[in-house]
Amino acid sequence: MEFLESINWAILAPIVIIQLILVAVAIIDLVKIEKANGPKWVWALIVLFINLLGPIIYFIFGRRS
Amino acid sequence: MPVVNIINIKKQFQDQEVIKGMDFQLSERKCIALLGANGAGKTTTLKMLAGLVKPDSGSIVFEGAEKADFRRLIGYLPQFPVFYEWMTGNEFLEYAGQLAGLPKSEAKDRAKELLELTGIAEAKNRRIGKYSGGMKQRLGIAQAIIHRPKLVMLDEPVSALDPFGRREVLELMDKLKKESAILFSTHILNDAEEICDEILFLHNGELVESGTLTGLRTKHQQAKIDLAFKENTLQYAEELSLLQPVSSMKLDGEYASFFVEDIEYARELFLTEIMQRNLPLVKFEISRTRLEDVFMKVVQK
Amino acid sequence: MNQWMTLFKKEMLEMSRNFKWIWVPLTFIMIAVKEPLTLYYMPQIIDSLGGLPEGAVIELPVPSAGEALAASLSQFNTFGVLIIVLITMGTIAGERKSGVAGLILVKPVSYAWFVTAKWASSMILIWISYFLSYFLSWYYVGVLFEFISFMDFLQSFFVNGIWLTLIVTVVILFNTFMKSPGAVGFISIGIIVILSILSSSLPHLLEWSPALLSAYANAFIMGSNLPDELLPSIIVSVIMITLSLLASIAIFKRRELA
Ligand SMILES: Nc1ncnc2c1ncn2[C@@H]1O[C@H](COP(=O)(O)OP(=O)(O)OP(=O)(O)O)[C@@H](O)[C@H]1O
Ligand SMILES: [Mg+2]
Repeated sequence: MEFLESINWAILAPIVIIQLILVAVAIIDLVKIEKANGPKWVWALIVLFINLLGPIIYFIFGRRS
Repeated sequence: MPVVNIINIKKQFQDQEVIKGMDFQLSERKCIALLGANGAGKTTTLKMLAGLVKPDSGSIVFEGAEKADFRRLIGYLPQFPVFYEWMTGNEFLEYAGQLAGLPKSEAKDRAKELLELTGIAEAKNRRIGKYSGGMKQRLGIAQAIIHRPKLVMLDEPVSALDPFGRREVLELMDKLKKESAILFSTHILNDAEEICDEILFLHNGELVESGTLTGLRTKHQQAKIDLAFKENTLQYAEELSLLQPVSSMKLDGEYASFFVEDIEYARELFLTEIMQRNLPLVKFEISRTRLEDVFMKVVQK
Repeated sequence: MNQWMTLFKKEMLEMSRNFKWIWVPLTFIMIAVKEPLTLYYMPQIIDSLGGLPEGAVIELPVPSAGEALAASLSQFNTFGVLIIVLITMGTIAGERKSGVAGLILVKPVSYAWFVTAKWASSMILIWISYFLSYFLSWYYVGVLFEFISFMDFLQSFFVNGIWLTLIVTVVILFNTFMKSPGAVGFISIGIIVILSILSSSLPHLLEWSPALLSAYANAFIMGSNLPDELLPSIIVSVIMITLSLLASIAIFKRRELA
């Protein structure tokens, strides 16, 4: 796993943090929102397990407009 | 003085003629009910007045609209009001007030006042997305009148309300009548009867009848006498129906209704007959024409 | 003007209530910064995936700083454009579809204010997201590769920004004559794709095309010569933006809102 060691984590940290914020905000919103565009638990899975894109897909298609 | 003059407006959707030429006037401080069955064209008429639907022909002229935007003069509640769900009731009212041209502080005051008046003050800081249907209806009325328009148009303002809400809104409209003209649509005849000065009957896109409540009653007066006896109502009724002025008779459960030509003459004749034969009379009523009867009559022709 | 501020503030409030102020900038940052990072770590990534077969020699040319930043720029013009269209396609159409527009526009609201407040708020959100993300990407490129002159960065930022502005404006334009947000999005994307394909396949015929602005923006950071057509295509874009906005207002006024 020298690859992981060779990475400068200071550089990558912001990306990881941004991803975590997006997931957190999406989940908070999902919990608070009256009704999502489809079952909430499906959206929770999407937000949590689709890397990078999950929260974005939720914000665009999951909130009922 | 008329607030608005409607001259021969027509509207067609695809090839269905929904409004087939309609003329009327609305005067200041009058409450006018737009009555009609489902699909008669009430909502379409109100939308045209609100400028949301353009008539194919004819004109709608607001008094004072040459100088200013006619929308300043009107307030409108749609049949199914939709709001920004993410706003609170209070935010929406302040927003609507400011858009209607009130200065910010006045919009705030009016919002507060109207939240009280419409009975949703305790929900004012909740998101509208969490309001019940009746609460939305009340909020809808509040936003329609926030800028004190000269003409308030309400599309079925009480249909979504519980009996208490209905009572409250009707009383509110009664108060409102002192400041503005009100035009409201309904298919509940009682509501119209209760607070309206004038009535417009709409049927299949046409104004089939209009006028003041008393005027309409007199015009469609149907001389009708209801009688009930302690016993043998059927037998006595049939005997009485042979009397000269009776044009028809109908048995209605406990009592019999007689339709007559001349009500004064018929009354005398009936009473004498009953006295002479000493019939066991328990009810004698010369009935008033109800709006419902007028409605049935004008719609059927 | 008072009313314009009221309308504008409502848009801003809405964007913070539905978290657009959080997720749009963050998403832009992710898609932009991801590029220099993957380019920089490409050799290690390939290595960790099992490496290359013994004896295979491939020369992974080390990308230049300009290429790394250009990769971010191209992300804005694909994924970024998609997000812009998706978040603006319902801004007016959605309100008409749901029926709120009927409630709002029977108030004496200026149609021009209504449309421009929507436009301005979308612009602010997108320009801020775009600036933050592109700036961070520039910084990452500087740290990982080498720093590109800030002036070159700024110039490419503005030139490409004009193209993004045109996209926002066109989406608003379609918003004013269609009631379905989906249809607005679909047609906007269609037009953008067609315009981009035409412009890049017939560059000599359409050299002033706004769709080439992103290519011209590249020239700044790659240090190549600036094409003569840069100025004409900026002018054409600004004219198209103005006309679209005027057309939006004119069309919106004539629409039946119910
Ligand atoms: N947008 C539309 N497109 C096509 N037809 C329409 C449209 N709006 C209304 N109509 C038609 O116009 C007629 C009158 O409709 P309107 O909504 O005005 O009736 P209404 O009197 O308000 O009825 P209700 O009591 O059910 O509210 C109906 O036959 C309806 O089908
Ligand atoms: Mg209706």
